[in-house]
Amino acid sequence: MQRVINILLVEDDRLDQMEVQRTLEKKGIVHRLKIALNGEEALAILDESRGNHNRPDLILVDLNMPKMNGFEFLEKVRSVDEYKDIKLFVLSTSDDKEDKMAAAKFGISGFITKPLKLESPPSLDAFNLMIDLMNMQIK
Amino acid sequence: MKISHIIFLSFFVILLLFSITTFINYRQSELINSNAEEFSRSSTVLRSGNRFQRNFLNMVSGLRGYILTNETFFIQTYDSAIIENESILDEMADLVPDKSDQRILLDDIRELQKYWVTDLAMPLLDAKKNSGESDSSKVAFNKLYKEKIVEGLEKDVQRSLQQKFSDFSNYEYGLRDSRKEELAASVSNTRSISFSLTLISIIAGIMIALFIANYISGRIVKMVTMANAIAEGNYNVHLPDRGKSEMSQLARALNHMADLLHTNFTLLKRQRDELDQFAHIVSHDIKAPLRGIDNVVTWIEEDHSFDLPAKVKEYLDLIKGRVVRAENLLKGILDYARIGREVRDTELVDITELVTEITEDIPKRAGINFRVQQNMPIIATERVPLLQIFANLISNAVKYHDKVDGFVKIYYQSNGSHYEFFVEDNGPGIDKIYHEKIFMIFQTLEARDSFESTGVGLAIVKKILDDRNLLIKVQSAPGEGSVFSFAWPKKYQDAESD
Repeated sequence: MQRVINILLVEDDRLDQMEVQRTLEKKGIVHRLKIALNGEEALAILDESRGNHNRPDLILVDLNMPKMNGFEFLEKVRSVDEYKDIKLFVLSTSDDKEDKMAAAKFGISGFITKPLKLESPPSLDAFNLMIDLMNMQIK
Repeated sequence: MKISHIIFLSFFVILLLFSITTFINYRQSELINSNAEEFSRSSTVLRSGNRFQRNFLNMVSGLRGYILTNETFFIQTYDSAIIENESILDEMADLVPDKSDQRILLDDIRELQKYWVTDLAMPLLDAKKNSGESDSSKVAFNKLYKEKIVEGLEKDVQRSLQQKFSDFSNYEYGLRDSRKEELAASVSNTRSISFSLTLISIIAGIMIALFIANYISGRIVKMVTMANAIAEGNYNVHLPDRGKSEMSQLARALNHMADLLHTNFTLLKRQRDELDQFAHIVSHDIKAPLRGIDNVVTWIEEDHSFDLPAKVKEYLDLIKGRVVRAENLLKGILDYARIGREVRDTELVDITELVTEITEDIPKRAGINFRVQQNMPIIATERVPLLQIFANLISNAVKYHDKVDGFVKIYYQSNGSHYEFFVEDNGPGIDKIYHEKIFMIFQTLEARDSFESTGVGLAIVKKILDDRNLLIKVQSAPGEGSVFSFAWPKKYQDAESD
């Protein structure tokens, strides 16, 4: 039986949200997607879902957002022991080495560069994300 | 102290020393002159003394002759000798200074002669003259003769006179000797003073010259070091120099210049960084909405491909084409801004290998042959900029080629300290009026719709070469193909400009 994967997308751009949604649908991944427009909202959602079945398995976070940016959000999430098992992926238009190095400090599972061209050829990190999702599904 | 003042002062000191030397020598010559005068005076005095003594002897013999022979001829000799001696004594009195020992001796001599004449000679002569007149007068003469001559009085006076003269002459000789000694001492003194003054002048001159040369050259060496440091890009250099000399003023002017350069270059660097950052941010921020447009068009195509009219599909293709063009332009801005920001790494680059790699990577076009010269040099240099230059020149040659049987030739020449690399094609060629324009960013010669070109390639080539003070040349005319050539240093250090 396929598991429903809880995904929290932290992204303020409507088009980028749609892109993620479409990609997940196209790949046939059974999921429950929650969307937060910035870090603060995302933290609130995380807080709410503590201990219940809605708790995200995976968070996709944009770096450039209003109020609380991606790095600040990553730092907050990583400071809570309870969220240690949640997989984190950065989703960004940035291709900067500096940004990647900064994000790597928070123990992320991948740094995915937008656009999410999964068809041909996928970036290694986007590909890893899908493998991760598939594996979670099978569990 | 100003250098001109130091030079003036030094010359003044040397001139002063030489003037003193000259003055001392002049005084010495005066002394010698006066000594010569003194010598001739002394000779005259001695000569006059001798004459006086000879005359006195004449007087004595005249007196005796007359007394013995009674011949008046002797009286004449006696008289003329007296007169001459008077004038000799007057002359001598003029030559001998007043109140000197010699003058006292002279006065004694005069007195003695006077005494000899008036007390001895005159009474004897008178008595002799009268002795023929009477016996009593003869007796009187004999008595007088006995009294004055026989008893030796006259002889005593004579001896005393001669003694005085001998003293007088000896005194004069003594005077002469002491003057001679004085002169000799003064001559040797002057000689040693002139010698030491001349020596001091020469040493002082040499020392001043050395000091000035050292002062100037020392500072010049410092300034050269500073100028070299500035040329190497280190503007934060200063010459500590608080003096008032012209060299110190120059040093301060150099310091000021270095400060200004430092300020301006810092400002320039900051502005360049800001511009790069700006280009970076702008291209990133514009990329996001472009990607959004592209996504939406793709979704429309994916989700509604069956219910869209053909016309709409064509419009959507146009939108996508423009998005690609805009993305390429943004990439061009980023590439252009990035030039010169990379770390400059030197490695061994085999040019033949580099060019072959490029020609193999470029999308093939039918009818175009690459002719790459074999055994092109291997240079220890930066690989990336050289690759960018060749890649842009070669891909341009291929992209714009219009012949069925075309070629692109890559070859080189050795040219002194540089290599000259050539990329030649037999394509459409470029009119001379565009030879400068083609190197400007976003400048293209073909309609963008017919050639998907951003117009960044040649601008990048130009910027890479400009950064290294190197030249690119183009030889081309419509219908005759093009030859692009650029210089690249054999030894890489030569090209590092900043």
